[in-house]
Order: sequence, then structure tokens, then C-alpha cells
Amino acid sequence: MSLESSTVGTSLDAIRAELSRGKLATSTFNFIVWIDDPARRDWIRERAGMLSEKHPSFTLIFDNTGVREGDATVTTGARDPHATVTVRGERVEIDVSGLDAATIARYVTGLCAAGVETILWWSGFKEASRATFYALLPLIGTLIVDSSGGLADDSALRALADFHAEHMEVTLRDLAWMRLTPWRDMIANFFDDERLLGELFTIRALHIASGSDSEALYLGGWLASRLDWTATGRDAFTDRAGKTIAFNRRREGEIRRVQSICLDSETSWYHGEVTEDPGVVSVWVEGEHAREPRLFPLMAIDNASLLERAVLESGAVELFETALTTAATLLG
Amino acid sequence: MTATAGGVAANPLRKGLAANRIADPCNVIFFGATGDLMKRMLLPAMWNLRLEDMLPSNYGIVGFSRSDDDDEKFRDEMRKAVDEFSRSGPAKEPLWSDFAKHLSYVSGTFDDTNCFHKLRAQLEKNDKELGTGGNRLFYLSTPPSLFAPIVDQLDKGGLGPRDNQTGWTRIIVEKPFGTDLDSARALQAEVSKVFDEKQIYRIDHYLGKEPVQDIMALRFANVIFEPLWNRRYVDSVQITAAETVGVEQRGGYYDNAGALRDMIQNHVMNLLALVAMEPPVAADADSIRDEKFKVLRAIRPIDRARVTLESARGQYDAGSIAGKPVPGYREEPNVRPDSNTETFAAVKLLIDNWRWAGVPFYLRSGKRLAHKTSEIAITFRSIPHRLFGDAGDALDNNVLVMKIQPEEGISLRFNAKVPGPKMHIRAVSMDFNYGTGFGVVSAPAYERLIGDAMRGDATLFTRWDAVETAWQIVMPILDKWQNTIDESFSNYSAGGQGPPSSDRLLAMDGREWRKI
Repeated sequence: MSLESSTVGTSLDAIRAELSRGKLATSTFNFIVWIDDPARRDWIRERAGMLSEKHPSFTLIFDNTGVREGDATVTTGARDPHATVTVRGERVEIDVSGLDAATIARYVTGLCAAGVETILWWSGFKEASRATFYALLPLIGTLIVDSSGGLADDSALRALADFHAEHMEVTLRDLAWMRLTPWRDMIANFFDDERLLGELFTIRALHIASGSDSEALYLGGWLASRLDWTATGRDAFTDRAGKTIAFNRRREGEIRRVQSICLDSETSWYHGEVTEDPGVVSVWVEGEHAREPRLFPLMAIDNASLLERAVLESGAVELFETALTTAATLLG
Repeated sequence: MTATAGGVAANPLRKGLAANRIADPCNVIFFGATGDLMKRMLLPAMWNLRLEDMLPSNYGIVGFSRSDDDDEKFRDEMRKAVDEFSRSGPAKEPLWSDFAKHLSYVSGTFDDTNCFHKLRAQLEKNDKELGTGGNRLFYLSTPPSLFAPIVDQLDKGGLGPRDNQTGWTRIIVEKPFGTDLDSARALQAEVSKVFDEKQIYRIDHYLGKEPVQDIMALRFANVIFEPLWNRRYVDSVQITAAETVGVEQRGGYYDNAGALRDMIQNHVMNLLALVAMEPPVAADADSIRDEKFKVLRAIRPIDRARVTLESARGQYDAGSIAGKPVPGYREEPNVRPDSNTETFAAVKLLIDNWRWAGVPFYLRSGKRLAHKTSEIAITFRSIPHRLFGDAGDALDNNVLVMKIQPEEGISLRFNAKVPGPKMHIRAVSMDFNYGTGFGVVSAPAYERLIGDAMRGDATLFTRWDAVETAWQIVMPILDKWQNTIDESFSNYSAGGQGPPSSDRLLAMDGREWRKI
């Protein structure tokens, strides 16, 4: 069943009228998307569209890039009253450039389905978008961001940590954290043998190379929160016994990607490093518990899938929040 | 880096990560390793499990077959199979070379104990070199006639569970499990001499399909359906498994099997059990399989004198599928020109229990039908009193359809007022489909099922009591059909809806089939 699109004015009434022409509407959630970066506009729209077409949902894309020209596109399922209907997502894209925050918020209250969760994917980076962000905040239940989406430094993660500290009531998802699942799995795999569990508590140094800072900080924060380490600065932890664990991170490789990791215990070195194929990681151990290299496929989780997981995961994720909080302590 | 159950449970880094990735180290041994199923499905499934990192760190894959291959030739063949048939596309380096190191081949005949000694030596070598820990999962992907001899040789060759002091031993048996009740019982007798029921995994790849698992979610994760799921509200249930394909290269097998054996006795009966069973007390393998068995046991035996009234068979003639002419069944390769084998089977079953008394379950499956579709349609009773609508308005029964393939989803038909001043009522159909255009593609059935067997999860495998009961249900029909020539064959055109006798089966009850 193909979807039908039409272009209308940006008035709430015009959009509502167009939406009501769709034969049936079923929403499992409202999905609001904010775009203010022209360079990433198409990339974000495409992924939001994929999610919208897979899940029966209401998607509202606020386009603040100035690329659109003062109109709105309404996309729904069949409008022919005699058609057999397959319910897919409804989608509205609106040019909001030049509109104030209160007006934009009124689109959310006026168009979103009641009784289902409202999720905001905030891809904004302009300071001018700040007022809109805070106007939308009371209207949403879950906020999705990508702290390594466009920046290699730690500024986005720092801002996210500050936001989380102030707004614990908002359920937060960070795509940068979610991308790390295969790496966390690989690291955990080193210690799934119960004879090696003790090694976890003799780690003395952690080395991470990544294309952007969020990944290293998250992995460091995650390990620290799971192993009861305390950050003692930007580059060190202490463990439960008060011993120091050096944290060395360097920027290397593509943004959003981890390049290598090494955990030094008192007896061994646990390595993971991306091979020539960026989708494959070689893991091996040197020292007392030496193991031959083994190849780990880095599951190619595309951003649309990450987005889907972020949307479908319900409630706060304690593991993520403690990793974020610990990463924040590293940032000082 | 050998995962241990205790290590995984105690590992603080495991929190929040998928525990189902972790299978014990093991060898998976495929009998019939140079066959078509191995190349098209089984080895690609193992490869994709590797890509998804669902294999344990320490694993071995051993092919056993008659062909005079060696490890290198076997690896080459398997690479070609992955390149051609894997859903993930051609194999890539360096992962393939790493995977290939875990592949080995043993050439031998299935009745020679010495060959099984060779196999045992290979497995012991793998235990030492690959760290597979003595755990063994045997997969019988051979013709069914070889199942019992292989199990016997496993025992004689010291590869049975009783001889394995260091790890577990399991066996996956491909369908069909027997060709009738007697042969199934005979096979079970042979297999159970060597393996306990908990070590036997009877595979029905249909049960590994995502939508089949969705049936339980629909029933037991919603409050709105279960109160209606009984004789008080349900008029009838139709279960359809229709294919557009013919017998293709399987003529030799199929001509000795037919639709009743090939589909109804296993796939379709499993769907019936999932739809009709009582809520299990837990989601574990035995709780679910207990309920499936109970409902199968409650199916009313078909009186031999009533077989023609409660079943229908058909055989396709030449016709066209999607505008292309296709031959009749008797013109297919390896099919007897006077074949009496049914390519279409329809059966009416009644379940004698509190929930379903009097509700007919109509099952049908066939080849060369108009469309490929598998679905379960629950038709609800008519409204008790007509309050709305003009006399000319047809008030259709509500129908809930669970679509299994090719589309996955749910469709609900209900009546609604047509907009306007008059009170016209007409049926509308609301379809709910999850799109599948991106994202995590659900693993094909074989990946899911092999992974489950490696982890010891038997939920999606069929237990002997259910297999035996399903055979008992179909035997009166099978006996009748085997012993009487159907003079009407070929009685439906390829690309059609099945034979007229199938329509009569429902017409006698005042009902009709949903259009395929």
C-alpha cells in the first residue's frame, strides 16, 4: 500500500483537514523530529521516514533549515473510502523557519495523537533552537539525541550530561551510547569465563581510541559504573581498593566509531581492534591469560535501526544513565 | 575466552546485554552435509549465526556425508553455498577464513561403524583444538530412511549421550518424522534407544518463523482477544497454507508424501495447536508443549466412514501462475504419470473440549494455488439481533486474520456506518502490518532453530507426544486416500483455488473458504 502525500499551507487547520482525509489512523507513538542543520537535513528526513513507514505512528518533522518554502507536506495512507486500508505511519513535515517556539509547540498539541507516547528526536545544534527545545520539552516523554552525531569533541556529551542532571524526569536515549552495544558485548566476552572474572578487579589501565569523544567517555563511564570505579580526574579512576586505573583516550579514526580498546590487568592485556574491514574487530589477549586472536563481527546496525530501538525501548535505562553520569564526572 | 554459565551469570559487564548470545561451546555435526538443504539453508544459517555473533567462541562444524571430499573441498563448497544462498550476501574476508577454520569434513557411509569412529576422532580433535568441550549437536538432514541407521551408528560408534562423559549430546531430526503412525512409532523407538526425549529436537521450520511466534503474543499479550477466543463467540477457524510453487526438484520425495503428510500433519497442525491451546502456565518449552499436546489430544478422531465428508483432496493440472503456463503435477519430473498423490488437502476438525466444542477448524494446504499465503482466520459469530442498516446491507461476520506469510500482520474486519444521512452499514477491513523495509531483519527460521538447539531451548521443537497425536489424527484420512484411487485427479487448475470437493467441504456447513 503506497502512501499519499500532498502539500498544504502551514496552518494547523489546513494540516488537520488534510490528515482527516486519510481513511484510518492508528498511532503507536508520536514521533517529533527537529532539524536545523541543512547539511544533515536529508539524512535525518530519510531515517525518520523509514521509521514512520515501518511503524504505525504519527511523525511530525519540524524543518528549520530554511530549505522548504513555507508549506507543509502531509503523508497518510489511503484516502479512497472504498480502499482496503493498511495502516502505516502518518507524517507531516512543516517549514517552521521564522516561527516562534510557542507556535511550534502548538503544532505538537494540535496534531499529535492522544494517549500514546511522544518522542522527540532532537538533532538541533543551533543556539537559536534552544527556546524551541525547551518549549517542546514539557510535551514529550522521551528525548533522543546523538552526542557524537556531528561533533568529534565532548561538548555535546557535556551538554547532555548537564541536561540529564537538571531533567531527570525526561527519558533519555543517546544514539552514540546505543552504537556501543557490540563493543560492550566484546569486552564482556573477555570475562565470561568465570576463571577470568577476578581479572576485572585488577585492571590498571584502560586505553580507548575513537573518532569522537563520546564513545571513549561512554565506554569508560560504563566500565567504571559496572566495576565500582570512581573518576578522579579526566584521565584516571580509582577502584574499590583505592588503586589507580589510568584512562588513556585518543582521537583516531572516523567520527562515531571506536577504533581500539585495551584493558591492562595485573597479568594480561585484553585487546580489541578494528581490522582492515571496518565491520570486523580482532580480539586477543596477551600475558598470563593469552588467547589467540578471534574475529568479532561488528554488527552493522544502521542509524535507522538504532533510532527504532531508541523508540521501542521503554522507560529509563539505568545502565545508560549511570554510564552518562560517570562520564560526566570524567569531564569535571 | 570460553564462556561458562557461572561466568556469564557473575560477569558484572553482562548486565543489559543479550544473554541469549551465549551458547555452550559445541560441535554441530551435519549428516547429509553435501545435500541441497545444507547448501541452501543450514550452512548459510550457521554463517549468519556467526555474523550475528550468536555462535559461542569455541565451536566446530563437521560435515558428514558419502561424498569423497576432504576438509578443503568441503570448505570450498560451503563458501560457494554461502556466496549463493546467504541472506547476508557473499562471504567476506577476514571473517570467512576465520569461520572456515572451524569447518571440517568426514567422508563415510551411514551404515559403517568405522566411519563413525572417524567422526568421533574428529570431534575429539575439535574438543582439543577448538575447545568445544565435548558438547555435540547432531543434525540429521538426510532422507528420513537414514534417520534410524544413523542413530544406531552413533550409538555403536560411541557418540551417543551415554558415552559422552564430558558434555551434552543433542540431536535435531528433520521432518518428516515418519511417514505414517507406525513408521513414526518405529523411528521413535529407535531414536529413544539412544536419546532421551529432552535430547531430541524435532524440527519444523515453520515454527521458527516470526509470525508463528506472534500468534502467542497476540493471544496472551492482549486482554481484548482472549475473552472472545471460545465457542461462545467464534463461529469457525480457517487455517490456510497455500503455495504457488509446484514440486520442483522434489518430485521423487513428494510423490510418496503428498500434502497431508508434507504440510497438514506437521506445519498446519502446529498452527492449529497454537491457536487453540489454553494459556500455558509459563513461557518455557514444556509448559507450551504441554498445552499444544492437550489440544491435539482433544481433536475428535475422524471416523473412517466419514473421511470423504470431512476431508478433500486434489491434484493440480496444468494452468498458469502469474501469467506463466505451468505443467500439471503428473508432468513434473520424477512424478508417476498415474500418480494418486494429493497436492492439495483440506480437512475439517472438531476439538472436543470446553473451549472449542462445536467450532469447526478447517485446514487446507496445497501447491500451485492462486497465491502464496499462510494465514489463520478466526470468523466470529453473527450478531444476535440486527439493529442497524438497511435491509439490503450485508452485515458481515467479524473476522480476525493472522497473516503469516508472505505478509506478516493482523487484519480485522468489522462493520461500520457509511458516512451520510442514511444508516448504511458496510464491512471495513483494518490491516495492521509492520513494515520490514529496514532494521533488524528477523533471522530465518533455521538460524533461530539451530541457535535454540545449541542453547538447549526446545520451545519451538515438536515433542514426541504431539507428533504421535498428529499422526493419529490424520491416519484415517491417509489410509483412505492411499487405498482409493481418486478418479477426479487432476481436479484443479494450477493457479486456482483448489478442487471443487474442497468448496463442498465447507458448503455442507453453510460456509465458504476465504479466497486465496
